[in-house]
Amino acid sequence: MNTAGFDELIHAPTRLQIVSLLAASQWADFKYIRDELGLSDSALSKQLYILESAGYVEIRKAFVGKRPRTSASLSKAGRHAFGQHVAALQRMLAKSQQDGGAKTPMKPTA
Amino acid sequence: MGDTEQPEAGTGTTRTEAAAELAEIKLRQQKVIESVLVPVWYWWVMAAGMVAIGAARDSHDRVVQAITIPLAVLVMVVLTGAMIPEVRRRIQVHSATQPGAHGAAAIFGLIVLVNAATIATAASLAGHRVAHPLTIGYGAGAAVLVIAGPLVMGYCHRLMLTRARQQMKDAPNGGTP
Repeated sequence: MNTAGFDELIHAPTRLQIVSLLAASQWADFKYIRDELGLSDSALSKQLYILESAGYVEIRKAFVGKRPRTSASLSKAGRHAFGQHVAALQRMLAKSQQDGGAKTPMKPTA
Repeated sequence: MGDTEQPEAGTGTTRTEAAAELAEIKLRQQKVIESVLVPVWYWWVMAAGMVAIGAARDSHDRVVQAITIPLAVLVMVVLTGAMIPEVRRRIQVHSATQPGAHGAAAIFGLIVLVNAATIATAASLAGHRVAHPLTIGYGAGAAVLVIAGPLVMGYCHRLMLTRARQQMKDAPNGGTP
């Protein structure tokens, strides 16, 4: 079983939701992400900080009139990591189908 | 507990969890796409505005026309003008997922269809000296709008979803979903 590309950072449920949402978009407003995922400001900030520290997310802060506006987007590295993670998940399922639902663990090749 | 699913080595994730994870990714894609589509009520407001304009013109009352037509146009323009920036303020769909030329052609086709239905019906009724030709004509255009508007949005939705799914399929080949 090739587990290359499986990303523990993205795998975490909340971060998976955030990265999935950002992967489908060019950028997303902080409030939009918060409301869509039902997170608190602090919970979202924390997860975005983790993703930003890993180089997966870019945070932009700007002012629209007098109001501050924060938006997030997936960096090139983040988009690549997400693509690899999706590929790893797809390989797991494909292998599962080939095995006819066999439930034996397999050896990683990478 | 002999049937307990074993996690894949190197991931700590079971195949059921992997399937759930992929389903979550697809759900988020779908939500993002849905968030940028025009809601159904928008078409109904636009249709109501059209019928109001037609009825005002049929009334031949200058006071009614002076109030109703600018008001209806104002509502339609403000609604359209407010909705697009509001969506753009919140999120922008990934460029590879956008409906592109096909979506633009569908929206252009909708505009042509609505105008054709309105003008053809009104002109035909006026030619046959039927009462309230403009109200009925604009009503016909409005009916086309409330039927075809959501259909066009559905088409754009399917188009974007197909593109998003294709990106996911391409992920094993180095694609970036």
